[in-house]
Amino acid sequence: MENKKTKFFDRMKSNEYYIKWLKNPFTYVTAAVLLSLFQIVTLAVSKNPWGVSGAFAVWGAWIFEAVGGSVDKWYYFASPGAQATLNGGLLNHPDSWRNFGIIAGALAATLLASGFKLKKIKSFKQVAAAVIGGLMMGYGARLAFGCNIGALYGGIASLSLSGWVFAVGMFLGAIVGSKLLVKFFM
Amino acid sequence: MAEQTTSRRSSASRKPKKNQIPYGFLTVAGIVGIALLLNMNSSNVAFFWLTGAAFGFILQKGRFCFTASMRDPYLTGSTSVTRAVIVAFAITTIGFTAIKYGYANAGLAVPGMSYVAPISFATLIGAFIFGVGMVIAGGCASGTLMRVGEGFVMNTIAFFFFMMGSLWGAHDFGWWKEHVISKGSSVFLPDIFGWMGAVVLQLGVLLILYVVAEQYEKKRSGSH
Amino acid sequence: MKEVMLDCYGEACPIPLVKAQNSIKELEVGDMLIVQIDHSCAMKNVPEWARKEGYNVEVEEVDDGEWEVIIEKTK
Repeated sequence: MENKKTKFFDRMKSNEYYIKWLKNPFTYVTAAVLLSLFQIVTLAVSKNPWGVSGAFAVWGAWIFEAVGGSVDKWYYFASPGAQATLNGGLLNHPDSWRNFGIIAGALAATLLASGFKLKKIKSFKQVAAAVIGGLMMGYGARLAFGCNIGALYGGIASLSLSGWVFAVGMFLGAIVGSKLLVKFFM
Repeated sequence: MAEQTTSRRSSASRKPKKNQIPYGFLTVAGIVGIALLLNMNSSNVAFFWLTGAAFGFILQKGRFCFTASMRDPYLTGSTSVTRAVIVAFAITTIGFTAIKYGYANAGLAVPGMSYVAPISFATLIGAFIFGVGMVIAGGCASGTLMRVGEGFVMNTIAFFFFMMGSLWGAHDFGWWKEHVISKGSSVFLPDIFGWMGAVVLQLGVLLILYVVAEQYEKKRSGSH
Repeated sequence: MKEVMLDCYGEACPIPLVKAQNSIKELEVGDMLIVQIDHSCAMKNVPEWARKEGYNVEVEEVDDGEWEVIIEKTK
């Protein structure tokens, strides 16, 4: 039984549709069209564009509260809406589940292509890069009302000038980041 | 494609490959199962979970990377990801505006207006800091999540510190709001140019950027 | 004609591509550069760059999530 199953999945590896849709990467433009489709679906159904990093601040607040801190006095979390989100818990926070979904979807895509590998840390430089880069992304996203998804993609597609201003700042930041990366983290 | 290539090097050194496809189907089944469970509590949460999985799947299959779209033109001279991002912006603009226009025409509140954010110096500074961070950390917000799913320990660390940075930013947000953000205002392009004008203008700008990106790449690859 | 191995296992984008761009400059026409990668994005952008430069490129999946991009410097 088990043997038959493995044979089925081994045969699948040479199936032309498997290779086309699950094994080989999509072109960048195919992905662009599909992402656009789901962005439009997201706005149509949930009445808001796709956002990612807003939930990270909520998770940060939950972690902070779990270790004994309180964010209730912070302007960012002071509004009734933000308080309701914080008190509502994970199960009632749709944005959290969309982020979990991204992780799960990417995992599924990698496994279906039989390309999963745990990529361990290679050097201390990578840890430093992840810590510094992660902190910068988090802080920057709060100042600019979102990340590359909410503020940039969602902003521009919403015909908001803020999306374009974000694009300019992010592009300049990427140039400086590239110089730093080559100099210190390579 | 990769399977057909023959290597000059001995294939004897290769380890036997494990077949991960069954685990892939198990993951898909798990995604569906969790959606059914979430649906018992809230169909909205289940919808977010499923669209998230779709976004993750597409991002990974397309290796779609917003970081690369901003970084590669300078660093490696390639603009293929940049051009794909421009295509995504153009298509989504059309779809979004259709939905918004429909609401506006029916006299209803236009959805998604909270994403029309106020523009101030904080937008530029925040985006700049974000841009530096994403190149160093090897992934933006969506890219970091996608690479957590792909098994990158580095991005998992970046993800944790992304949360901590968000907390820090939320802590300082009151100051920024009072001193910087409150001095700016939001600009919704249809308010200035009308619905049609705003869409035509934006698609025109995207078209120009696309051509510039392609010409730039040609120039860079011919220059050495 | 020599063969140069470039070990980029564990390196995140765009480091494999930048390293490949740097090391191919050191090679003579006819030499081979073999870039070992396990970053799924690099598996797309390294061959794309090399093809655009007009080199001969082969991608071989050596293990789950591990690839070797074999580039022949043809000019």
